[in-house]
Amino acid sequence: MPPPTTNNLGYTPPDGGWGWVVVLAAFISIGFSYAFPKSLTVYFKEIQEYFGVSYSEIAWVSSVMLASMYAAGPISSVLVNRYGSRPVVMVGGLILSAGMILASLGTSIIHLYLCVGVIGGFGLAFNLQPALTIIGTYFQAKRPLANGLAMTGSPVVLFTLAPLNQFLFDSFGWRGSFLILGAIVLNCCVAGSLMRPVNKMVVFKPKTEPLEVNGAEEASGAEALRSEDSPKSQSCVHRFIDFSLFKHRGFLIYLVGNVVMFFGFFAPIVFLAPYAKHQGIDEYSAAFLLSIFALSDMFIRPATGFIGNTRWIRPKIQYFFALAVSYNGVCHLLCPLFSGYAGLVVYAIIFGIAFGMVCALLFETLMDLVGAKRFSSAVGLVTIIECAPVLLGPPISGAMVDTFGDYKYMYYTCGVLMLLPGIFFFIMHYYNYKKQEEEQRKSASVEMRTAEDSTQQNLYQKDNLTSEIET
Amino acid sequence: MSAPCMHPSCLLLLLLVVCRHAHTNLVSVTENTTVTTEPPVETLSPITPPVAPLTPLQTGQKSVVLTGENHTEKVEVVNPVTLNLECVWTGDNKRLPNITGYWTKDGKTIESSYSNTQLQNDRYYLRKEFSIMSEEDLGTYSCIFGPKAKVDFILAAPYLGEMRDKPIVSYVGDSVVMICKMDEKKSKPINWNWYKHNGTSKEKIEVDSPGHRYKITKDEKKTKLVVHNLTESDSGVYFCGAVYGIGTSMGHMQLRVITYFEPLKPFLGILVEVLVLVAVILLYEKTGSKKENQSGPEGNPDQTSNLSHGENAVADGHSGTARQRKV
Repeated sequence: MPPPTTNNLGYTPPDGGWGWVVVLAAFISIGFSYAFPKSLTVYFKEIQEYFGVSYSEIAWVSSVMLASMYAAGPISSVLVNRYGSRPVVMVGGLILSAGMILASLGTSIIHLYLCVGVIGGFGLAFNLQPALTIIGTYFQAKRPLANGLAMTGSPVVLFTLAPLNQFLFDSFGWRGSFLILGAIVLNCCVAGSLMRPVNKMVVFKPKTEPLEVNGAEEASGAEALRSEDSPKSQSCVHRFIDFSLFKHRGFLIYLVGNVVMFFGFFAPIVFLAPYAKHQGIDEYSAAFLLSIFALSDMFIRPATGFIGNTRWIRPKIQYFFALAVSYNGVCHLLCPLFSGYAGLVVYAIIFGIAFGMVCALLFETLMDLVGAKRFSSAVGLVTIIECAPVLLGPPISGAMVDTFGDYKYMYYTCGVLMLLPGIFFFIMHYYNYKKQEEEQRKSASVEMRTAEDSTQQNLYQKDNLTSEIET
Repeated sequence: MSAPCMHPSCLLLLLLVVCRHAHTNLVSVTENTTVTTEPPVETLSPITPPVAPLTPLQTGQKSVVLTGENHTEKVEVVNPVTLNLECVWTGDNKRLPNITGYWTKDGKTIESSYSNTQLQNDRYYLRKEFSIMSEEDLGTYSCIFGPKAKVDFILAAPYLGEMRDKPIVSYVGDSVVMICKMDEKKSKPINWNWYKHNGTSKEKIEVDSPGHRYKITKDEKKTKLVVHNLTESDSGVYFCGAVYGIGTSMGHMQLRVITYFEPLKPFLGILVEVLVLVAVILLYEKTGSKKENQSGPEGNPDQTSNLSHGENAVADGHSGTARQRKV
């Protein structure tokens, strides 16, 4: 298993230059992916009255969109593996736009589920995955910072979209707003056009892995090369999605921990305002709590990225992530102790910090574990498996609140559901790091021996290439 | 305080007897002593009869203790009622043994309500009984202690739940749903009515109007007005009225009907902006890399050629970036 922090890409990522523009582009794409479903709730009341349906039926639109975004992850990964990030993001923007425009002509709630939910969700998936992947190709040394900055897109876009949506609704009603939103999301195509495939004009370095070619950004002509990736890999499947990840120790740790964590991740946000109202706080102050939460989230994400980049944290970034997850858990367990508006404001701030820390590191740790090359497939597999807890978490919490009539049991459960994975991560990554150190020592000696063999194979590769291009 | 007899036949007798004195009934309410109550006939106007049969007249009591100088109390009246209002004032520093107090309705003093109140248990008391029979009797009743202290009782039919203060926007040819709700905690109205403001007055909306464009549904605490096939002339203010025994409580909302061209303008504007930006970015990249590629070995098919729609100004297949193989 290649150690995660060394470069196995076969080229030196720029770690700057155009990379920062790509971070901006990823900022926009990720921002739309996460914030767009949440921001549509402004329209729900009127749409609910227009179609004469109950609130839970209309809330399904957001859930279907989120589910569709997560479920389409593997498809997105396959396309990114094959075509690179840029076309996928641009197509994603077009799909999302088409979905919203069709939705503005909708005549029934099912129509909305399909257009906004399914089609829109696909469009968002085609934005999320490539945006995350391309950061891995442009950054290595400054990757945690780049990831942190890109993930800040989510709260910033949410902050902007919420009042914008309100304004559109007041001026144009829901149909006109959906039409205009269809145009606004076309800016994802602009973001996509900025995602220039990384320039691999790098001198070949014999001491790093010579055989591996970066799979994320190649044009179709280079696919034949990928099959020589590693002698024993399943060449056919690897072109689409890398199922060998399920044998990857780090990946499995990440997957198991995340699945448990996501059950309790989103519910506290969803119920923050109702919990405040339950305590007797008026509606506007309750909504303001969410703004406070979003603000503290917004500032902590780049900060976390920066801290994760420091040389003390970077090698052991998995522990930092485990700390963030555990901190979330502790935060929720203590929530019932915060009473009154001042207490809830404090809770909103520290919860915002906790949430932001986890989000900023969420994909950085995955990249750290599997490497940028396999990241695209990894994130596709992770999102489709996380689909279930993300969808089921809030309704189950809602059922808990209804059964017990009190919010504190829900917060205790969420706290436990986050504290356990946190502790799990600490233990398992301690074990993982130990194993990696052993393997590193072993492979260092093996590399010396195979260095000579590899130069011979490279000459063979070069001949293949020239003959391909001539045809 | 109780009414003499509530049985319908008894009331009928009273009606005959009292009829002649009907006009003087309300006005001749004497000073703060209790008044016998009869249902005054003249206010049961034929146009607004309570649909329910003559129910026994309810009595109610509202008492407010005033510690400062002003207080406002909202009183919800659902059915005709005899309301006994009481104001208790803790007084000021002067503690005069006698104070003049009086009542006003909607700012106008009720002439016969002047009275002298005495300090009892360190407080001043003003009590008066009012017959609230119809919508004219609703309003603001105030008790005033000397020049200093005042309590306002705002008598009204139950207010409607929160209404949207900004206009509802809908489109020509589309339909719109307008909803009026009464709070869960308040009593349910006898009926709901819808009106449209046609420049000078409110015009009631009938469901059977030609064209069958309106549809009204009435639940207990909620009413819905659906208007199909909207035209621009449907814009305006609409009123919903919750009918109670005492009167109608009105809520209003504004409808704005626009054509599809209105949102289309910003849509096209943003579309143009996106196209321009994408074209500029891709062109910049192409020209930038052409300079780099002066001695470039090959031109690989570009990834942007995978795009299908008219987005790409770069329609041909030249490479945007050099992708050099390892040598």
